Amino acid sequence: MAKIMTIDDSLMMRMLLLQTLSSAGHQVTEAKDGAEALTLARGAPIDLFICDIIMPGMSGIALIRELRALEQYRHTPILVLTTEIDPQLKTEARLAGANGWVGKPFDPERLLAAVRQVCG
Amino acid sequence: VTPAVGLEPSLPGFERVQRYWDSRERTWVAQVLPGEFFVTRAQEVISTVLGSCVATCICDRGAGVGGINHFMLPFGVGGPPGAATRYGCFAVERLINEILKHGGRRPWLEVKVFGGASLIRNLGDVGRANVDFIHGYLKAEGIAIAAEDVGGDCARRLRYHARTGQAIIRRLSVSDAEGLASRETELGESLARRPPNDIELF
Repeated sequence: MAKIMTIDDSLMMRMLLLQTLSSAGHQVTEAKDGAEALTLARGAPIDLFICDIIMPGMSGIALIRELRALEQYRHTPILVLTTEIDPQLKTEARLAGANGWVGKPFDPERLLAAVRQVCG
Repeated sequence: VTPAVGLEPSLPGFERVQRYWDSRERTWVAQVLPGEFFVTRAQEVISTVLGSCVATCICDRGAGVGGINHFMLPFGVGGPPGAATRYGCFAVERLINEILKHGGRRPWLEVKVFGGASLIRNLGDVGRANVDFIHGYLKAEGIAIAAEDVGGDCARRLRYHARTGQAIIRRLSVSDAEGLASRETELGESLARRPPNDIELF
């Protein structure tokens, strides 16, 4: 069971993720934007980040870069969860240090399978 | 009749939406079909016909950008629980994100909601479910509804001026809306069957 942080400005989306992830026994911390995510992540260790791309303030890509700059999270898995389909954005996310790309609307079973895979 | 003004090209990703010159109204019209969405910065009207489906209309007047989605929650047997909500969130979020990408500012977004008539009755009140979803979603996200015309048992034709937020609704007679219910039933069922989006691990 992993300690997972979900970062999404949409409350409904965070609720959907909480339902799915906690049903598999994962412990979930929620952040509504990049700034909150960084503050919370410095407090308690996180095993996996699942983050949106288009958010007010810091974008998901910028957040991934910030996380990768922290010694603590240099190798922690990060999955992007987004409505975006632009291949260029996908490449940008990969280069910023993301480990995977999940399109919305997500399928719960397949999301959990991806979580198992990246968390080892 | 020659259009009085030229048509600006579609924003990237919306090239497939049909646009035509309406010589009576003297405006370009983009025709949005069930399941589609459309965002524009051009001087044009977005038109769609709604039965049980709902259209969320969003614009930032100051920034001169706006658009609509035309959605229906997936229904039918065997769908995983929560699938309808996940699809609904996706349908609204991708519209908002696209508007933000083209200059819209979150605090200035004006939202109007139309449709959700009780047209498809054989599978429970689908129109009602669509309206309940959008109300719940906007409430959870803290977004106010500036105007709406929802429910009832009449199909509607919506004409939305994306840059100003002006919406004109015409209620359609039963004969005008012929075939709409069966097309919407098809959409709702096909959404339930559609395979979920891919997951790619790098």
